[in-house]
Amino acid sequence: MAKGTRGRIERLPGGEIRSHFIRIGLVEGAIISCMEKLPGGTIVLEFSRQEVALSGDLARSIEVSQI
Amino acid sequence: MSEALIQHKPHKHLRTEAIPTDPLKTKIVLVGNPNVGKSVVFNYLSGLYVDVSNFPGTTVEVSKATYLHYELYDTPGIYGVSSFNDEERVARDIILNGDIILNIVDAVHLERDLFLTQQLIDMGKRVGLIVNMLDEAKRQRVAIDLHRLEEELGIPVVGTIATKKKGLEGIHELIVQAREGKQSRSLHAELHGMLSTVGSQSEAMLVLEGDEVVAKRHGVAAADVSRREEIYIDRRNRVNKVLQRVVTDIETGKRIASVFGRWSVNPILGFPILAVILYALYFFVGVFVAQDVVNFTETTIGRNFVEFHIKSWVAQHAATLVTVDILDADGEVTETGSFRFDEGTRNDYDRWAAVRDFPQGRDAEFTFTYDNPWLTLFFGEFGAVTMTLTYLLFLLLPLVLGFYFALSILEDSGYLPRLATLVDRMLRYIGLNGRAVIPLILGFGCVTMATITTRLLGSQREKTIATTILQLAIPCSAQLGVIAALLATAGMVATLIYTAVIFSFLVLVGSVMNRSLPGETSPLLIDLPRMRLPQLDNVVKKTLYKTWFFMKEASPWFFVGALTVGILQVTGALVWIMDAMEPLVVNWLQLPREAATAFVMGLVRRDFGAAGLYHLGLDPFQTVAALVTITLFVPCVASLMVMLKERGPREGMIIWVGSLILALTIGGLVSQALI
Repeated sequence: MAKGTRGRIERLPGGEIRSHFIRIGLVEGAIISCMEKLPGGTIVLEFSRQEVALSGDLARSIEVSQI
Repeated sequence: MSEALIQHKPHKHLRTEAIPTDPLKTKIVLVGNPNVGKSVVFNYLSGLYVDVSNFPGTTVEVSKATYLHYELYDTPGIYGVSSFNDEERVARDIILNGDIILNIVDAVHLERDLFLTQQLIDMGKRVGLIVNMLDEAKRQRVAIDLHRLEEELGIPVVGTIATKKKGLEGIHELIVQAREGKQSRSLHAELHGMLSTVGSQSEAMLVLEGDEVVAKRHGVAAADVSRREEIYIDRRNRVNKVLQRVVTDIETGKRIASVFGRWSVNPILGFPILAVILYALYFFVGVFVAQDVVNFTETTIGRNFVEFHIKSWVAQHAATLVTVDILDADGEVTETGSFRFDEGTRNDYDRWAAVRDFPQGRDAEFTFTYDNPWLTLFFGEFGAVTMTLTYLLFLLLPLVLGFYFALSILEDSGYLPRLATLVDRMLRYIGLNGRAVIPLILGFGCVTMATITTRLLGSQREKTIATTILQLAIPCSAQLGVIAALLATAGMVATLIYTAVIFSFLVLVGSVMNRSLPGETSPLLIDLPRMRLPQLDNVVKKTLYKTWFFMKEASPWFFVGALTVGILQVTGALVWIMDAMEPLVVNWLQLPREAATAFVMGLVRRDFGAAGLYHLGLDPFQTVAALVTITLFVPCVASLMVMLKERGPREGMIIWVGSLILALTIGGLVSQALI
């Protein structure tokens, strides 16, 4: 996902991290936008007025379709 | 939809857990996501007397206070009730044990925060909801129908702007009105089926969500993870439906992030911003507090007033040798006078008065040497009482206050999570994630303080790596001052070599540990709260709490440390250790034999160690070798003690002995390569 683009979450990784994603509102079907992408892949996402930063490897485990 | 939801009458189901409580008092528990203004509400309700303690068996702080006839508990910020980390486990037990839950949510982040609210309702708790930061919601053009929200959830709701003290008066009514909210009927039936085995609906809910700790307490099997996901998804959907009816975006697509907030995670602008902040931090803590303030408190108040009076009081009653050194403007000794009092100064008052007048207004240093070893142990040069007192109150206290003040400002402004984001990738090389930047920066203030802060890291593995790096390669502010002074005389080349050696060693140790320790670095997943101007009263309160907590935790260890070295000195073991180290120092490190004293003194206070190198007349390369050794060398006794407590005796000793060996090895290699 490039900086400034929007996307829809298609698939989330499993396990505890998935439960946490559901709690904060990151679920399959949610619309997210990429606010910032740092070298090395750390990414800042914006969704429903929240800003969340994710490590590159975690970000790569989320499948997103561009919209 | 509302047919599927039922409103339920209160029923009793309490279990007393680890924290001591008064069974007769109704317990109110404040619960909320991080950064929703929980502490402001807690401060408003609690007044002055707050009891901050560690939750038994963990390192998570829990605040307890009294509000009217209620007991009031604050809990760590959490996104949900479960057992994913220490904070959640602590909050979970306090919530299970609470009678009334005050749930605080951020009006702008209802989508995230109401998940926890709905979970508390599903647990069958009596809940009152505080919707905070209504001003920010208004600014972001979000309209929230609080009456509708009250109807949808089935619990009382008040709206507040906590930082401006608006709406807080409604919280009392909220406590009185708090009740069980609307739960899903199917879930509720299932929970009641478990009541006979588990005892309370709250715990039944957690067992059903796969909470193994709670399940084990009742000897039942926790439900499968997939069941938890089903429940979570269902809850998420219910929350989203509530939100559709309650929240209206007056204006959608408005950009929310502040410009500064976005710049601070920008790959190009982020680092200059960080540099400016670090420089400001250095100026405030490193120059203003560590030099100006500490010079005054440590020398003028601590040594020349408090210690002098304690020591001269002891000298009244005991055989004492008083040495007076007259100092010139550069701190060099120009004149010395020695005076013996065989039966204490009390019996020879006139001569004592003459000794006190000896400096005649010039700068002077009084040294008291007692004949009695016990007095030396407690009140002598490294006296456990005198030195600990000066060190703790007049050196460490101002430093720690300064550091926590700066940190609280950074924390409340919302900058720290952005800093964690910015440096996440780099810290990953050494097996840490972005969060570890906080203890690492604190280490430059006081390694002991930073070692306690490693608690905020996600896994044991990260705590181990961060602690090792802190103990090994981060010089604390006391030491940095002396190192900087020595390097200033040694020159540019020496400074560059020193910095390069320490830095590459830090990276090397981190990456070796990253590769060799089992497990993986936990990924960074961090909420970036809105940037905002910190509230001074909140910052001050936080600074005082944290400082008090640190002093309470660390003070006994500084005393123990000073006592240990005092015993070594009195028994002559100190000389023996220095003699034993001599061949290593002279042949391997290629330093004068007196340097051994500096290394051993570094045990008491890291800066003593470095300061001992001042008068050895080292050439620039010897300075580098000595400073490398002393930086990597054993940390001060207090940080060692705190480390043993935090990491356990076994791991603590491995880190300690390891750093000893590594310091001598690397220092020697540098020396052999340079000289």
